[in-house]
Amino acid sequence: MKRKTFSASMLLLALTLVLVACGGGSKSNTDGTNSTASGDEGSKASSGEKVTIKMMHLWPDGSNSAQNKLVKQIIGEYEQANPNVKIDTEVLENEQYKNKIKVLSASNSLPDVGFTWAAGFLEPYVKGNMFAPLDDLLQGDLKDKFVSGTTEAYAVDGKTYALPVELNIVPVYYNKEIFAKYNLKTPQTYEEFKNIIKTLNDNKVTPIALGSKDAWTGSFWYMYLADRIGGPDVQDQAVASNTFSDPNLIQAAKEAQELVKSNAFVKGFNGLSNDEAKSEFMNEKAAMYAMGTWEVPNYTTNPDIPQEFKDKIGFFKFPAYDGGKGNINDWVGGVGVGLFVSENSKVKEDAKKFVSFFVKRWGELSVTDAGIIPGTKVDTSSVKLPQMFIDVLNELNNANKVILYLDVQMKPVASEEHHNLIQALLGNAVTPEEFAKKQEDVLKAGK
Amino acid sequence: MDKVMSHKGIIALYVLPSLLLILAIIYFPILLTGYYGLMKWDGVSSMSFIGLENYAALMKDGAFWNSVYHSFLFALLSTLSLAVYMLVALVLAGNIKGAGLLRKIYLIPMLLSSVAIAQLWLKIYHPTNGILNSFLVSIGVEDPPAWLSDPKLVLAALFIPILWQYAGFYILIYYAALKNIPASLVEAARIDGANPWQIALGIKLPLISEVVKVTIVLAVVGSLKYFDLIYVMTDGGPNGSSEVMASYMYHKAFRGFDFGYGSAIGFFLLIICMVATWGIRKATASKDTIQYS
Amino acid sequence: MKTVNQVVLSTGIPSPFRIASSRIGYGLLYFILIFAAVIQILPLIWLLLFSLKSNQEVFNLPPFALPSHPKWVNYENVWLQGNIGRYFMNSVLITMVSVILTILLASFVTFAITRMRWKLQSMVLGLFMIGMMIPVHSTLIPLFSLFQKVGLTDSQLSLILSYTAFNLPITIMILLGFYYALPREVEEAAIMDGCSVNRMFFGIMLPMTISVIVTAAIINMIYNWNEFIFVNTFISSDHLKTLTVGVQNFVGQYTTDWGAIGATLMISILPILIVFLLLSNRIVEGIAAGSVKG
Repeated sequence: MKRKTFSASMLLLALTLVLVACGGGSKSNTDGTNSTASGDEGSKASSGEKVTIKMMHLWPDGSNSAQNKLVKQIIGEYEQANPNVKIDTEVLENEQYKNKIKVLSASNSLPDVGFTWAAGFLEPYVKGNMFAPLDDLLQGDLKDKFVSGTTEAYAVDGKTYALPVELNIVPVYYNKEIFAKYNLKTPQTYEEFKNIIKTLNDNKVTPIALGSKDAWTGSFWYMYLADRIGGPDVQDQAVASNTFSDPNLIQAAKEAQELVKSNAFVKGFNGLSNDEAKSEFMNEKAAMYAMGTWEVPNYTTNPDIPQEFKDKIGFFKFPAYDGGKGNINDWVGGVGVGLFVSENSKVKEDAKKFVSFFVKRWGELSVTDAGIIPGTKVDTSSVKLPQMFIDVLNELNNANKVILYLDVQMKPVASEEHHNLIQALLGNAVTPEEFAKKQEDVLKAGK
Repeated sequence: MDKVMSHKGIIALYVLPSLLLILAIIYFPILLTGYYGLMKWDGVSSMSFIGLENYAALMKDGAFWNSVYHSFLFALLSTLSLAVYMLVALVLAGNIKGAGLLRKIYLIPMLLSSVAIAQLWLKIYHPTNGILNSFLVSIGVEDPPAWLSDPKLVLAALFIPILWQYAGFYILIYYAALKNIPASLVEAARIDGANPWQIALGIKLPLISEVVKVTIVLAVVGSLKYFDLIYVMTDGGPNGSSEVMASYMYHKAFRGFDFGYGSAIGFFLLIICMVATWGIRKATASKDTIQYS
Repeated sequence: MKTVNQVVLSTGIPSPFRIASSRIGYGLLYFILIFAAVIQILPLIWLLLFSLKSNQEVFNLPPFALPSHPKWVNYENVWLQGNIGRYFMNSVLITMVSVILTILLASFVTFAITRMRWKLQSMVLGLFMIGMMIPVHSTLIPLFSLFQKVGLTDSQLSLILSYTAFNLPITIMILLGFYYALPREVEEAAIMDGCSVNRMFFGIMLPMTISVIVTAAIINMIYNWNEFIFVNTFISSDHLKTLTVGVQNFVGQYTTDWGAIGATLMISILPILIVFLLLSNRIVEGIAAGSVKG
């Protein structure tokens, strides 16, 4: 190969670049223009036309078989009731699902129905006119069906763009046997909590399983500290106002680092995935584990896990901080994925009808069949549930406030940075002040 | 001879299909990526042209330069490790017994997908019950490091699986190249009384110098755009201390909804690779290609 | 098979070699080589054990510990999860077609660049080489749009074209060094005999480069077999997906079934391992046949 090779190719590259740049304007004007036409046509299926609705979800039958079956069942029921409608599903695992949704939206070819995450994830799609507002469903068919405060997480400028199918809070699970062995009681105050950690460490038991390679799990701990110190609104306000300078937020960061210093977390937590950390708890090497209530089936109904282990597990509320403004009934948590309808769908009205049906049926079945707490209200008196589920549902009913996960609240870039900063904070790579400063900077950048 | 070997129709027939294929499937997309790099675009709403703003931001982005540094570190180490692979290939190609079997075994890690390799090494590096730390504890190390969560160690810890994963690949290429050397040349040198080292350095290496150059470029370019294991094993963490260019691009474009910026990184990565390759070619240029005969 | 016995017999006990060298040196050499071989073969053993463990055991037992009760049910689950057979056939089809296409096209190009004479040689080569430097993720969105415009999304052709295009550069690069090293006399003699270019290519060049073709084919095969980003992005119908999707079937929203993943990985590595063991012998045979006779 000769030297000329590269300069020549670069020239060609540059030329083609000019070509592409000059001819590439077609993409931008497709957005949002062709959406109005399909909207008011109304349902095609009811006029007897054959309709196919494309749906994407993230529950493969191998790993989320309960959800997968439930989706199939609901689709089956719907197709039976509406013989003109056929629903095609595409299933991708979580991470791949997120990627594909982005590729599809960039090429303006989202499925008719799919799942989205709340707030920060959803916002760009709404701004880009990709999701259809679903307020007519909320006013009509689904009026008063949802737990209050859940659909708001999918609202932008007063319109709601997705309907939740998951609602979780984050309790601290603990191993009753380990606690009993060292005469520990579930903590009411943060001081008691610190004493528990000390006692466990003195006895060479790992106090808390944490896998903050998946940084969102580390964020739980920070969020609880911030809430208990600064009160239920301090974090929401911080994100809303793009500031992170409230001294309570810095104090929470300090406490988080104190926790690390007191060896509260499993060794090497910043390099462990959530799955790896979880196994420390499941294996009874670690005494506590803070995680969403999607874990509850592992402590109740999951047939693969021995009953004797399940019996040992309980949960408690993150304790109150002395002099703090938080309420012990504040929970970190919130909605998970929710159903959207594509704004550019050719079968938008049919898709909406299906979504409405899906959400209702899901609400009736998901706790009992899949161990998932839906966004819709669950009548605990009419369903038979393991005790821990009932306890969780009661806590939800008595909650003072559910503070939506910080990384979900924030816009995508800020959320990414929040993950990095949580790792840095827990890894002692930044001071609490730097943590707050950097978080504020990226919030201010508005991305 | 010249007439036959410069027949335009045949050249077109041989080259054009492939050329058109890569123009459509590789160049068209990457040029569009370069174009997206000039846009403010979240991948969802409409784009707006912002000129070189993304690239300007890139120049000032400390996290990005950090990832560039990590990528180049990997490239350097990968290049150095080629010498080890070459040594193994020389020995294997030197008619030792069992070479065929060993060569096959060496390639096994390459057959595994990155998912499997990453899982294996995660188990090896596990801070408490991984093989490595269990071993260290058993020989009396009191507090063995948490390899993947220590910002100072994570790069080294990531490099070892990469070194291991690609061993078979380069050994195979070197082996095939060495085996292609006509036995008569080596035999002649041997009769002249050259020892194995002299034969290796004086005859074999120069004869396969083109292949060596190729592998250097492969190693450097491969490292510069390396993604797989890092993505699964550390995801660039903790706090960006194992972020490389490709993972940084992925994080920006697919996690951060900043396709404009992500595209700019992707395009810049291409340019860096081109410059690096050009540099290698320049540094290893020899006036004429060595031919047998 | 002969080699198997030989390596076992010769462990640490080298037979006398023609070139005088110390026995200890060879002993050490073998020790190092075999130690390296053990390290390289461990992942297969690990994967087998891994595929027989439950999720708990995967994380809590040391990697090479035997599971208390081998969970063959992992394999059963994976197999009964349906579609594995289908995915498997798709993987075979796409991998084979892409590998053959890539090798053929790459050989054409390399031949034309290294042996024939024309003006744009170096520029065309440069274009192919730059193709190697492109990170896959940055092409996903434009490539998807392209396939969508020409109606190739959800078609296996999109995968074959992408695999071929993205593997062409590296394949050409591997072939290049070998073609450069081929003696000119070969084709001079061929042309003297009145051989056409096509016949020279198919009759002489391809057979002469068989060892490197096999090398490149193995590498191509491995890449295509394990690829999943393109499959996930371009294909939406389940019946068109490949085996790598089978692995992802067990990655969950909040939890993952690792034992099943191990079983799927094990099932998916077997065919490629067998093909590899068969093919890699051809490298040596190809050299024996490689006509460097004059």
